[in-house]
Amino acid sequence: MRRFPWAIILALLAGLGLGLVYSWVISPARVIDAEPLTLRTDFKDHYRSAIAAAYAATGNLPRAQARLSLLANSDPIEALNAQAQRMLASGQSLEQADQVAALASALEHGVALESTSTTIPQIANTIVITSTPPLDSSAVPSEITETPQPTETQATINASTPRPSRTSIPTLGAPFALTGQETVCDPNLPDGLLQVIVFDSRRRQLPGAKIMMTWDGGEEEFFTGLKPELGNGYADFIMDPSTTYTMQLGAGSDIASGLTTSTCQSSDGENFTGGVKLTFQQP
Amino acid sequence: MPPVTCPDIHMKSYRWIFIVLALLIGIGAGLAYGWIIDPVDFFDLTPDTLRADYKSDYVLMVAEAYQAERDPGLAARRLGIFGTQSPSTIAASGLAYARANGFSDSDITLMQELVTALQAWSGIQ
Repeated sequence: MRRFPWAIILALLAGLGLGLVYSWVISPARVIDAEPLTLRTDFKDHYRSAIAAAYAATGNLPRAQARLSLLANSDPIEALNAQAQRMLASGQSLEQADQVAALASALEHGVALESTSTTIPQIANTIVITSTPPLDSSAVPSEITETPQPTETQATINASTPRPSRTSIPTLGAPFALTGQETVCDPNLPDGLLQVIVFDSRRRQLPGAKIMMTWDGGEEEFFTGLKPELGNGYADFIMDPSTTYTMQLGAGSDIASGLTTSTCQSSDGENFTGGVKLTFQQP
Repeated sequence: MPPVTCPDIHMKSYRWIFIVLALLIGIGAGLAYGWIIDPVDFFDLTPDTLRADYKSDYVLMVAEAYQAERDPGLAARRLGIFGTQSPSTIAASGLAYARANGFSDSDITLMQELVTALQAWSGIQ
């Protein structure tokens, strides 16, 4: 009776284990043709910034959307808004943060700045994975190349592609006009809440706008866009009922003075402290 | 003790050959599985690993932005994420890919302008 070949089975399993350890741990296959969605988070931010800058220059929303889809965010608008806030918080250029926020806003409203062309650069449909040379280079091919597919040609909506025209970028230095001031009596809001909403010249909420509050014996600065869930151009401040405030956005902008809380009455007859809502816009 | 016969010696050496062969086959199968069938999933990659068409499209984005901003330093910083190559070299690679793969004339023109600007800019630096 022949004995079962345990030694051969064990050798096979040991070899398999060694091969897996080498190929998964010691020298894993190196991907050299990665897709944007595999990038590290900070590089994805760079990628989004570049998309936003290109969009600010060309106003080509379909192209920006196509590029954003490469990052495979479940909610690109939220990703852009969050990035704009991170950029502001880390002291990066306000202009670049605004470009990111502007793209988020455009996606939200589906509006292209100045439509030029919707052609999307061709993307070759090839995948190449290379690995470091195996122990026995004759046993395993060191390069696997998928047969290149025919180049994918994207649909072109405009037959002729006009050159992208220069798109003006909102600057925070331009003066803002106070376009609205109203007393807010909402018992659901915190007492004495001053709400500020800042729009640029295109009626787009503007993040990163510096707001200066001054009062007798004090001053404070804060920025729009720190509560993106309430709008990129939104900022708020809690006023003390016994204090009168003055607010200004930037040099040359309208000044809102005499800001103070008001006494409001709820539907059940109780008094509470109301707030003020100010709206600023670049002409 | 029985004498060792020729068939015994042959059996043992054959057995070792089979064991070594099994080991090699196992290693080969392990490598094939780990490198081809189920390779390690990669994430958190750096931009230099991007496929050439994505790199070229990134260069195009920078070129589009440069068209409006006219700031070669900013364009160079944007291209700097690709690593050690100079910004003008990176832009030139993107331009070469765009020319070879049928990008539109307007896109190629933008990229050409970026390459020219970066070459001039790097000469000043």
